[in-house]
Amino acid sequence: MADPTTTSNEPSASTSGSQPSGSQPSQKTMTKAERRELQEKQRAAKLAQKQTGGDTKPKAKPKPARPTEATSSSGADASRSHPKDAAASTTVVEGVTSKSRSLRIFSHFGLPKHGPGVKGDIHPSIIRLALQFSEFRICGANARCIATLTAFKTVIQDYTTPPNNTLSRHLMSHLSPQITHLVSARPMSVTMGNAIRQLKLEISGSDIDMPEQDAKDLLCQKIDDYIRDRIIIADEVIQDLACKKIKDGDIILTYARSSVVEKVLLSAYKQGKRFSVIVVDSRPLLEGKALLQALTSAPPVSWTLSNDSLLPPPPPIPCTYALLPALPSLISEATTVILGAHSLHSNGAVFSRAGTALVAMMANQHSVPVLVCCETYKFSEGVMLDGFGKNELAPSHLFQTSPQAPNLEILNPLYDLTPPSCITAVVTEVGLIPPSSISSIPMALGRISL
Amino acid sequence: MDICATYQRKLEDDQISPPLAAILTLTELCASSTAGTMFELVKALNEGADALKQSSTNAISLNAGCELFIAFVTLFPHDSASFSDLKMELVKQGETYVRQALTYRQKIGELAVDFIKDDSVILTHSYSRVVMETLLLAHRSKRISVYVTEARPRGLGVKTAEALTAAGIPCTVILDSAVAYAIEKVDFVLVGSEAVVESGGLINAIGSLNIAIIAKAANKPFYALAESYKFHRLFPLSQYDLPSHNPRILSFPTPSEMAQAAENQMSSASPGSRSASQTLSSITQEEIAKNNPDVDYTRPDLISLVFSELGSLTPSGVSQYLVGMFAG
Repeated sequence: MADPTTTSNEPSASTSGSQPSGSQPSQKTMTKAERRELQEKQRAAKLAQKQTGGDTKPKAKPKPARPTEATSSSGADASRSHPKDAAASTTVVEGVTSKSRSLRIFSHFGLPKHGPGVKGDIHPSIIRLALQFSEFRICGANARCIATLTAFKTVIQDYTTPPNNTLSRHLMSHLSPQITHLVSARPMSVTMGNAIRQLKLEISGSDIDMPEQDAKDLLCQKIDDYIRDRIIIADEVIQDLACKKIKDGDIILTYARSSVVEKVLLSAYKQGKRFSVIVVDSRPLLEGKALLQALTSAPPVSWTLSNDSLLPPPPPIPCTYALLPALPSLISEATTVILGAHSLHSNGAVFSRAGTALVAMMANQHSVPVLVCCETYKFSEGVMLDGFGKNELAPSHLFQTSPQAPNLEILNPLYDLTPPSCITAVVTEVGLIPPSSISSIPMALGRISL
Repeated sequence: MDICATYQRKLEDDQISPPLAAILTLTELCASSTAGTMFELVKALNEGADALKQSSTNAISLNAGCELFIAFVTLFPHDSASFSDLKMELVKQGETYVRQALTYRQKIGELAVDFIKDDSVILTHSYSRVVMETLLLAHRSKRISVYVTEARPRGLGVKTAEALTAAGIPCTVILDSAVAYAIEKVDFVLVGSEAVVESGGLINAIGSLNIAIIAKAANKPFYALAESYKFHRLFPLSQYDLPSHNPRILSFPTPSEMAQAAENQMSSASPGSRSASQTLSSITQEEIAKNNPDVDYTRPDLISLVFSELGSLTPSGVSQYLVGMFAG
């Protein structure tokens, strides 16, 4: 507000009903950024008007950060407290801005829009899936990707090409709103993005002359193949490779819960290796509890016959459960750290559950080798430098543990970025790879088609 | 055919290193095998490779050769008229490769010589054919002097020193424990290798890691020389993750062994008061070597460059090459 250029825009934002263009200098004299700002303001004003007009649907996602802009902070404010009265809140915004200052730099983090309205022709299975995503019933990169692809199979089977159109051209435009709906429930994961890109490629490449049912069956077959090759089989190979790095007497430290790490530990146990596990966990998700449950209640315990003598069942995996603050006193015990990943960037940086970077850095400091288990379909071609550029917030209504206080904003980023220097090796289905060589894999592997 | 005897016979040639000997042995196995299909042949080769590994105490570099040849056989295009033709073709290719590989040391030497300045003082470790080749090549055009470590327990450093002195290069043998003392006088470190692994690190005679750490601490470059057939698909996470590690290495004596040792000492001490040196000598060199490793693993961050016939590679360049070769 101290900025003179924004104060000139002020009236248009607070008097939400009026068209602001009249009070503006001619659009030609404005810079591109200014024009965009104006446009955004008009949009926000329109939305605020709609909300005052009796629509009680909460406005969930704050507009991209524009620090000194009154509308933006009023929008963020509105989503928190009084969604009904955005225009009124602009008048008190001067008092609030100083308090909500801390959240502002994180306001671009993706936040699930709870209670998404269903717009357009959305398939019931997608609506169901979107709800499961937004409630965190389905969580984890692999699980979300498999669930999405499975739901798309139903969508494709229930789809009929409208007359005067072809499947290869029209199906994608039918799927797009479904994808948009899923993304509105929770920001898209890299795995889903990669899978959907492959699916698009397959759809656009499908034969025009093929009977519709055959084409749909073929697409579903391709989806099944993708799930099998890139996730299920890949996981099995990763299990084999990672198990070789677990020896008798090892103490494996892991953080939160990764489906691959869980499989690795269980299969190493099944191979008869005797090791113990430290599960480090952290709020707000406390996913490590599920891992602990799976490890301790693991295999069907039975007597085994070997060399004509009956052997007693092996004892279950000895586990230790600790929260992140206890890590420094536990890390020196560990022989290997095994972690999962949400995605892996081409510079070797690992994007994973918030807290992973801390564990990897601490392990690196204590010269404990850090293995990251990650399928190649989680690779992302981009480069990330930190966990601030892009992230996701845990919805506070799901993981509320502290009492609600006025002016207290809880910030729970879901992910963080582990720099490649803290990782010893990445276990993929093509072998153990040092993080510095990640960029040479996708070329060597080729893009395995869906 | 006796695969181990063949392997030993191949090794007798001074120029043939373990991976090449393994490749030659497998080519002979290929020639003499009665396999009628590719599957049978690869199975026979794998069994042969396993037999070789069983017979050898230090299988890492041998394994690199076996792996290379078997990967070559499985990827070889089968467009021959008959399977026996294909086998002959494989044998021919294997032998050609080994002939070619013998020229690699020369190439590496030529690459590495450019990094050696006139009047350099070089520290090397133990004995390596490719290091010898490089030093002798450098001696032709530049004045160099060499410190070589004794490299216990095998003491191969003495062999290096003798060869270099014979060629007229000033050379001094230093104790393995004197590396830190000598490092200030050294311009760079040059070592050979048993194998270069996927992380870009190095497996070499025990003591290389010490030298690498000391060189890093003193900010001296640490260069490794390795022919590309020594590149090995292995990713050790620590020293104890090497295939050569076994529970005997670095083990403490069991209580019964300790009692035995104490008894021996008592009985030797009882006739009269013996001096301390004699009681110490009850632990022989062989006994020390028994509980000690033959090779160690040098981490990639300690290595400046790896010279191979493919070029001068950084450790991450090595791992990219290996990933491209095997993950493709």
